[in-house]
Order: sequence, then structure tokens, then C-alpha cells
Amino acid sequence: MIEFLNFHLIPGIVLGSIYALGAIGITLTFGILRFANFAHGETMTFGVYVTLTLIWLTGWHPLALLPIAMAVTSGVVLGIDRVFYKPLRASPAIILVMASFGMMLMLRSVTQFSWGVQLQTFQPGIQRPYILFDALRISPKHIIIVIAALILMAAVHYLLTRTKIGKAMRAMADSPELARLTGIETERVIKATWIVGASLAAAAGCFLAIDTHVETMMGFKILLPLFASAILGGVGSPYGAMVGGLVIGIVEEISTYPWIGDAPLVSPGYKAGVAFALMVIMLIWRPSGLLRGRVF
Amino acid sequence: MEQMYGIGLYAVSLLTFGGIYAVMALGLNVQWGFTGMFNAGIAGFFAIGAYTSAMLTTAFSERHLGGLDLPIVIGMIAAMIAAGIIAWGVAKICIRLRSDYLAIATLGIAEILRLILKNETWATNGPRGVSLVPKPFETWPEPWNQLAFMALVLVIVFGLYILLERARKAPWGRVMAASRENEPATRAAGKNVDRLRIEAFVLGAMFMGLGGALMAHYLKFIDPNAADPLIATFLIWVMLIVGGSANNKGAILGAILIWTIWSATELLTSRLPDEFAIRTAYVRVFLIGLLLQIVLQRFPNGILPEKREKALAAERERHSQT
Amino acid sequence: MTNSIKRLTLAASALALMAGSAQAADINVGSVAGVTGPIAELVAPIVAGRNLAGEHVNAQGGLLDGDTYNLVLSDSQCDPKAGVDAGTKVVNVEQVVAIIGASCSGATNGMVQSVTIPAGVVALSDSATAPSITELEDNDLVFRVAPSDAYQGLAIAQLAIDQGYKKLAMTYSNDDYNAGIATVFEQAFQDLGGEITANQAHEPNKASYRSEISTLAGGDAEGLAIFAYYGGSGITIIRNSLENGLFDKFMAADGMFDASVIEQIGADTLRGNIFITQSASDYADDSYKAFAEAFEATGNDPVAPYAAHGYDASFLLALAIEKAGAADRGAISAALREVAGPSGTVIRPGEWEKAKAAIAAGEDINYEGASGNVDFDEAGDVGGIYSVNTVGDDGSWATNLIQ
Repeated sequence: MIEFLNFHLIPGIVLGSIYALGAIGITLTFGILRFANFAHGETMTFGVYVTLTLIWLTGWHPLALLPIAMAVTSGVVLGIDRVFYKPLRASPAIILVMASFGMMLMLRSVTQFSWGVQLQTFQPGIQRPYILFDALRISPKHIIIVIAALILMAAVHYLLTRTKIGKAMRAMADSPELARLTGIETERVIKATWIVGASLAAAAGCFLAIDTHVETMMGFKILLPLFASAILGGVGSPYGAMVGGLVIGIVEEISTYPWIGDAPLVSPGYKAGVAFALMVIMLIWRPSGLLRGRVF
Repeated sequence: MEQMYGIGLYAVSLLTFGGIYAVMALGLNVQWGFTGMFNAGIAGFFAIGAYTSAMLTTAFSERHLGGLDLPIVIGMIAAMIAAGIIAWGVAKICIRLRSDYLAIATLGIAEILRLILKNETWATNGPRGVSLVPKPFETWPEPWNQLAFMALVLVIVFGLYILLERARKAPWGRVMAASRENEPATRAAGKNVDRLRIEAFVLGAMFMGLGGALMAHYLKFIDPNAADPLIATFLIWVMLIVGGSANNKGAILGAILIWTIWSATELLTSRLPDEFAIRTAYVRVFLIGLLLQIVLQRFPNGILPEKREKALAAERERHSQT
Repeated sequence: MTNSIKRLTLAASALALMAGSAQAADINVGSVAGVTGPIAELVAPIVAGRNLAGEHVNAQGGLLDGDTYNLVLSDSQCDPKAGVDAGTKVVNVEQVVAIIGASCSGATNGMVQSVTIPAGVVALSDSATAPSITELEDNDLVFRVAPSDAYQGLAIAQLAIDQGYKKLAMTYSNDDYNAGIATVFEQAFQDLGGEITANQAHEPNKASYRSEISTLAGGDAEGLAIFAYYGGSGITIIRNSLENGLFDKFMAADGMFDASVIEQIGADTLRGNIFITQSASDYADDSYKAFAEAFEATGNDPVAPYAAHGYDASFLLALAIEKAGAADRGAISAALREVAGPSGTVIRPGEWEKAKAAIAAGEDINYEGASGNVDFDEAGDVGGIYSVNTVGDDGSWATNLIQ
């Protein structure tokens, strides 16, 4: 039982929080811009490397530098949108997906060219966890990650429900034509979407880096679970992405617990496949997702 | 003189790789061009075809299943059948999904397939792959072996092209096009759109399986990396979109062109001084991404856009009447 | 179809022009490596090693009549398709005399079977270690300066027994390299009387391995044997194990060997608790020292896995060309065997001038490399010498040869 909590459930929650933040960006792009953004992973990676550079320059804690990294990443993403996605606004979704693939290659090669491919880290050394009640192991960095993720999710909720731009985003996700008719400036909403998505991506990337390390393929490697989370939760619904992310993260980790007998239920080699299996099942059973996003 | 000979052999390899990719792009065109299905799991069918043919045609080996030493032709046919069966299963499950969802579902399925190939070591030798795969014409002297293999691939491409052109103009193809343009109307007209879609999906997947088999025999080696979903799948999509989707000629052109660019750009970057050599690999990838963006913005329908037979015919009629 | 044909012709002529415009006094040797791809960070020092040998050759008189030894880099991406494409390019377009490469066993397998053996070109790999390469029917065209996995697995098992371990858990990254060593290790350790309490494969590049490790920690193993690349999963596994008190003693193979392991985990935590083997040579050996000095001067770390092998492969091919007397593909295989030894005037890394003179004088030479004595056996393989790395007092790796 204790092993279950310490080595399966808690890491699952941490991983799920990271997935949740990343998936929000994906689902917003899906809902408002109507395409699957394959460059989202590289956006995360880029945000992480910006943070790393800031740490080299200032020596501050990564969380303190996160707002700056978010701003820089958002700026870059807005630039990318201006040059590469805006001309294709009227094109069918497949063209935009292709463009995002191309963007993925471009952004990744810029990162690799500028920073090299060696492994880096935010803070060297290992961190011994606190031990509560003589059994529960909770690492300080995990507490930080989960709390920060919750704060960010609350911020997104506030944005979407209380601010004008947030409501405009929801309107556009529901029906772009109607939104335009009611005078919502679509370009502003689109810019806001990119900013929110990029900032959350940078945050998710940094949390992942705090939990593991920094390397150039880190965003790409969780891209597919991020898609799975967005779809599971219901495409276009940020709350769905949060739920989907947590579910995928937790299930991925607890699937290898020896539920029956001695050996893990799912062989660790297949752990990655758990996210996809869940996603495929959801698509067949309930394509609108857990929280009823759009069905295109 | 030797240089020209060498360049000739390189051109042969470009056409061989390009041809194999063309087979897969044609398969994708059946799924996307004919019926508008967004299959992002190309790599999965490729892998099934490759492994099936490889395992059946190699000599006995302790490392993996099969090893039946069957003739290559049988291997290739088996590859198509295996890919077709899996595709049928996938299609039955996913047929009603709309395009973006279908994409990610097929991507997930391809990933699961790749993990199976990697983990079931008793069957596939896991990450170490299946080696010593026989190659048609390999006992012939250079350059005839390369030329013969290339010829085989190009003949297959040509044959598939003819087949698909016939199909496109036949009633089957027309109903497909109709279902792509206006699904509700087609259904209302009593056509079983689902069944057609499944047929198209299976046919396309069979081509992809054949492409996989051809690749396995060409490389004489196959491992789960070859089924890496993003590069294998992505590249074929780019080939189809750039060449001209819904257009069989476009699929072939796109395949050969994109592969040539992908491969030949390295010859340019490797001329740069050594200190930059490793970093130029990244520059190359960057330029390819950039090239894709440029093509997408300037040639949104691809280089050879789809011909609309009916529209052309109507135009001709109008012209002849005036 | 005419469009594509036109395009191809244009491309071909452009290439021909460029190739023709290269200096007439260049002798090209292909340098095929996984520059991009899963082991990009491991490959960079290996390529640097190859290039260093090239610099030494060119600085001391060049090849044959003062021709330049020109290494042409081509990216095999650790993938068989790219390996075949890279091999085709260097063999046909760049007209290389021989090839160093590829980096990964899969890419090498594809490249040699599909391109170099039919074309009659020698391929000498500095890091492909799969046993299956030994079994290829290769007309004596495929060589390796990197010992097959079969040896390293054995070496680690022996090391573990010598260190007194009787029960170990093990995990391996599910890729061709690590899965290979793991299989050999498991068998060898058990043959030597040890017991493997648990054995799990894992997918690389995941954020957490806590669940895998906790299952492995179930038995009463004394330590964990890790077969993985440090960047893909190795460091994360060590970190997860230590932070959760699951394992604190580790053994690993050379995929784990990198300064970043110490940097990220901490020297004090690891000291005395981790042993990493590495395909290596006697570090007290003059050959290695010569290489190490020169390599450090270029800003690289000489103990980087297979960097020394890269140097040796590159230097050996240069020697072979010199011995063959001409840039003739067909003569390289025999010449390579002659210059590698085991008998003749000893030539060490960096001693190009001496080698040229000896060859001109008709002497037999024997290259003793930075990675070992590089004497090829019948199949074109070399035997394995291994060293073990532990964390030294100064917080960096200390290496000792395994006797």
C-alpha cells in the first residue's frame, strides 16, 4: 500500500499535473485555431532552455524566473504565428498541421543548434524527500510542482470565466462565425490563445525539468501523452485537459503496480502505450471526451 | 567517369527510396485523397508489412519467429495481407471518427504496435531487429542488382498508379469522391459510405504494408526504429501534401522530390568546414522545415493539384458550345 | 513524370559540378555517424576523435604523395534507412575509399548489408557492438574496433562477482545496444553463480521510473545493474532509486558513462557505490596517453565512450590507404589487416610521420591504438579490454583497468 502511494500514485499526480498544463495549450489551439499543434512540445522545450539560460545569468530559482520565461516564449510563439500560421488561417486543418510539423522541426533545430544536445540540469544533486508518518515520502520539489500547477490552473479558470478576453476565447471555441458576428476581434483572441498556451507550456516544461533534467527532446517525448490528455478530456475544453492530464499521468504510473500477484500489471515497456490505449478507448466510447468538448 | 557512375548509382538509390515512399504515398492517397481519412498511423502498417515479409523470408534464426525461408514474392503478398487485416480491425473501430480524431487514434495505434514489436522479443528480436533479410537480385553484380531492384520498385509504382487511376474513374472511385465532397447526400443516395471507407482504408494500408516489405528487403534489416511514428508518418504526409493531395501523380512526384531534397541537402551541408559539420545537421533540418512552410504557403494545393474530371469536362462542353 | 526527371537531372549535374570542383588532391573517407538521433550527445566526441586522427595525418605529410585525408561526414541518425542513405551517398557521390561507421548497430547492419558489401567497400565501425555483425557474410569487408557486446556483458558480470555481489536486480533500456548487453550479462552472472532477483526492461525517455524500480526492489537484491544511456533513462533511474531509498549501489555499462552523472547526482552520494565499465584500454599505456593529451588539447574528454575508438578507426584507415599505395577500394581490406598487427614496428596514435617512413621503407607495421592493440580476428572483430570507473576523491571519474 505504501509503495503504491509513494512510487505510483504520487509520481502519477506530479506527472499528471505536468501533462495537464501542457494539454491545456493543445486543447485551446485545437478549439480556437482548429488544428492539432505538433510544435507544442518544442515550445515547452524552448521555454525550458530560456529558463536555463536565465539561471546561468542570474542564479535565481527557476520558479522565480518562470514569468520571464513565459513572456519570452509567448513572444517567440506570437512571432511564429505571425509569419507561419497567419497566412494559412483560411486553409484546411491538415495544412496547418503540416505547418506545425515543419515548425516542430525548425524550433527543435534552433534549440539544438543554440544550446547543444548535452544533458543539463537546473539544480545538480538529489533531493531527499520528507518522510511523513514514518512512511509517506513526499519530495519538496513535488509539492512545489503540484501547488504551482494548481495555481496556474486556477489562473486559467479565472481568465476564462471572469475576464472579457477569456469569455471571448470560449465564444470562439464554441462557434467562430457567431463570435465574429458579435464583434469579437478574432485576431486578439488568437493572440491570447497563443500566449496562454505558450506560457503554460513553458511552465509545464520547467516543472518537468525540475523533476528530471533538461534536454532537447524533452517536450517532443511527452507530446503524444499531451494529445492523449487533451482528447481524453474533450478537445476544446481546458477543464477537460486538466482532468485528462491527471488521469493519463496517474493511470500511466499505477498501471505498473503489481495489482495481481507479483509482477506489474502492465509491463513497464508498455507503460507508454497506456496513455494511447486510454485515448483510443475514449475515442471509440465517447468521442466528445470526459468533459464533452467538441466533436469535429 | 567514375564520378558520373557514382552519381548514377546515387540517382538509382534516390529513385528506389523515392519509389518505395511513392508506394506508401499512393496508399495514403487512397485513404486521404479518395475518402478524406486522416491516417497518422502509416508507420504502423509500414512496420507490419516490413516485419511480416522479413520474418517469413529469412532463414531460420533463434532470435525471432518465422525464418521460413519463403520466396520474397510470398513475403510481400503476406505483408499486404497482414497490413490489410490489421487495417480492417482499426477501420471497423475508428470509421466514424472525424479527421483530427482519426489522426490521433491511428497515431496511438501505431505507437502501440511499435511497442509490441519492441517488447515481444521472443517474436521479433525486440530492438535488435531482424537481420539478413534476403534481397531480390542480390546475387547479381553491381550495378545490375541495384538497377534491377529499382526497376522492380518502379514497376510496382507504375502498376499501382494504373490500378488507382482506373479505380478513381470507376464507379467505386466516384462514390468515394462523392462521399468526400458531401457525405450526407451520398448516404441519402443509399450508398454504404462506411463500407466504402473501410475498403479504402484497407486498400491504402495494404499498399503501406507493401512499401514496408520493399523497404525491409532493400535495407536487408528492419528494427522497431523504422516504425518511428513521427518521422516515417510525417514524411509521407509531407510528400503527399507537397506533391498534390488527391492526385496520384502528385503522390509519386511528391515522394521522389521530397526524398531527394531530404537526402541531397546533406551533400550540400557536408561541404562546410568540420567544426560546423555536426551543427549543420541541425541547420539542414531547419531548412527542410522552412522549405515545407514555403511550399505550404505558396502551393497550398501541392505542386500538382487534383484534377476535377467532371469540372474539366463541363468546361470543355461550355467551350465547345460557344 | 518529366518534371521530376528534369529536377533529378539538374540536381545530378549540380552535384557533379560540385564534386568536380573539390581539390584534386583529396582522398575521401566516409565518416558515417549518428549525428542526429537518440545518441547524438554520445556521438559528438566520437566524431571529434575521428577528426583528430585526420588532423594528425594531414599535419605530418598527408596521405601518399601529400594528398589530404578528407573525412566526409554523413548522418546515419542511428536508423537503418538513414544508414543506407548515408552509406550510398559517401560511396557513390563522394567516391570514398573506405568508410568509418556507422555508430549504431542497426544503422551499421543496414548500411553494410545493403551498400558497402555489394559495392566492395571496407566499413570499419568504432561503436557498433551487436554480436549479429560478426556473423555477416562480408567478404572480409566489415571490421570493428569496438568489441562485441558479448564481451562487455561478461566483464560486468565478472566484476560484480569480484565485488562480492551475489544477488542483483537489473533493468535495461529497450534499445538494441542495451538490450544486447543485458542479455549477455544476465546469462554470465548466473553462470558465475550469481542470482538475478528481478529483470525489467524499461522504455527510455520517461519522466519517472519509480514504479519500475519499486517492483525491482521487491526481492532482496544488493544492488541494481542498469543498462541504459545516461540521458535517456540512466540518470533518472539512479535519482529515483536514491531519493526513495530503493537502491543505493549500482553497476552499469558504458552507455551510462558521462560526467553529467556525477554532476547531476552528486559525487559524495555516488562515491563507492557505483561501478561503470567501459570498453577501454590500459590508461597507463603510452598509446592511450598520446591520444588523451592531443584530445584534451582540442577541448574534448578522452574518456568519452568510444572516442578513442573513433581515433583508432580513422588512423587505421589512413594507414591502410598508405600501405595499399593508392586510393584503391579493393586493396584496403588486406592492407588494413596488415597494418593492424600483430607483428611489425609499433606505431602509436599521432606517429604518422614515423608510419609513413616505415611503410615507404617496406617495413611491416603494427598499430597499437588508444582503444587497445586493435588486432583483428578472423571475422574482423577485436577482443575486449574493459576498465571500471568509480567516483574518485576529487569528484570526477577514476578509471582502472579490469584485470
